[in-house]
Amino acid sequence: MGEFDNEVDAPRGATSREWEVFVREATADPLTHVGSVSAPSEDVAREQAASLFGRTAVALWLCPADETRRYQTEAATLGAGASGEEATMSVAEMQSETLRGEDG
Amino acid sequence: MISVSKLLCDLDAEGDGLRYDAADESTKRQIRDEKQRRPVVVWNVTKQCNLYCDHCYAAADTEIADGELSTAEGKALLDDLADYGAPVVLFSGGEPLVRNDLEELIAYANDVGVRPVLSTNGTLITAERAESLKAAGLKYAGVSVDGLPERNDDFRGLEGAFEGAVRGIENCLDAGLKTGLRYTITERNAADLEGVVDLLTDVGVDRFCFYHLDYGGRGTEIVDADLTPADRRTAVKRVCDMTREYHDDGEEIETLLVGNYADAAYLVEYAREHVGEAQARRVYEYLRVNGGDPTGERVADVDYQGNVHLTQFWQGYSLGNVRDRPFGDIWEDESNPLLRALRNRDDHLSGKCADCRYAGVCRGASRLRALTVEDDLFAPDPQCYLEDSEIEGPTPFGAGDEPMSAD
Repeated sequence: MGEFDNEVDAPRGATSREWEVFVREATADPLTHVGSVSAPSEDVAREQAASLFGRTAVALWLCPADETRRYQTEAATLGAGASGEEATMSVAEMQSETLRGEDG
Repeated sequence: MISVSKLLCDLDAEGDGLRYDAADESTKRQIRDEKQRRPVVVWNVTKQCNLYCDHCYAAADTEIADGELSTAEGKALLDDLADYGAPVVLFSGGEPLVRNDLEELIAYANDVGVRPVLSTNGTLITAERAESLKAAGLKYAGVSVDGLPERNDDFRGLEGAFEGAVRGIENCLDAGLKTGLRYTITERNAADLEGVVDLLTDVGVDRFCFYHLDYGGRGTEIVDADLTPADRRTAVKRVCDMTREYHDDGEEIETLLVGNYADAAYLVEYAREHVGEAQARRVYEYLRVNGGDPTGERVADVDYQGNVHLTQFWQGYSLGNVRDRPFGDIWEDESNPLLRALRNRDDHLSGKCADCRYAGVCRGASRLRALTVEDDLFAPDPQCYLEDSEIEGPTPFGAGDEPMSAD
């Protein structure tokens, strides 16, 4: 039996809040996770999800991704790793490298 | 992508097998011998960028986002894509060159058998970096330039960006990297198109990709600056005319149109008028095999946090996250009614798309533009520029399944 010991807690949104979307296509159907939308507010998230799923769903549930806890039986699909920040230039380095092409 | 040079001038290219199932006919070494069954995957390796472009679909800026995939996670993603059979990974951003591990990731993609290509603004490509990208096994660098110097720099938010991109292109070419131009056509820069091609041809570039604006990220804020359908038609005609003129002069440039499959129908009509009925039939057959707009099928996007999108432009909706389950499982999961409907969009397209004779080669073009402007996923693309007289009537050249034959 799985113990769901592995939590996937990496953020899912950067430009605005991310909202997990669940739909039910008919009242007899299970509620299904169908991805997420980026939206600054609940109202906008509802509008966006409705424009994508309104034609096929009878029920729509939204949950802020940052309030959703994700646990798995196995380790995270991509394995554990240090944050991508380690791999990226600092802002100062990036700016000093810009247009330096002629220096080679 | 629609190769104007292939369709109008019979220029062979290494993407012919991938795109048109035409590897046998091509004289160029092929990316794939068979038409792709799995998507080309755009991977936005970071949100960070050293420029601030008006039309950026990824809404990139100078700051890194929380939770960007690490080097180890990136390699695991590339393993995942290789297992699924993705033929190509396009490293994009943000500006991918701000990642110091970019060469490590490119080399890894090469090792696991996913062809690594790059989309960049070019301004960070020193001679040294170009050489290290080549040594890592990069197969192609597409450098974005969106107009002659003044216009480009205005678009990109940095004085000197044009010259920086040209230097980056020169550094790539000097390192022996195949390098091309990416040009997003809007009302603001349509007039510069030929000037940029002339200038970069002199630099040594021989591949030019012209993108239509899609309405994602900051692109949604400049919808008003997009071309009108009539001006778009003029710009596409200019690309076709220019391609033929270069070829007539013996300069075999490769030109491609990206992001609006109304172009497919237009190319058939153009070939019929300017090249001849037999060529028009060949163009139609290639485009029928190509299969129209690739959203949710032949192109996919994974963003810097691992969210999977229907195309790189459609960042506002994610199908799932590769930290939760493998890419292939997300992409194959048709319990998602949106994914199912998009893949069967021929049954859902409405308005003039429902009866369009070119539906088989266009498939409604951009669903994102329809959604953004009409708030209707299956409404006609507002940037369709075809005349009613062109789209009404029976399917061109019959059902399209019979073998090609010259008239």
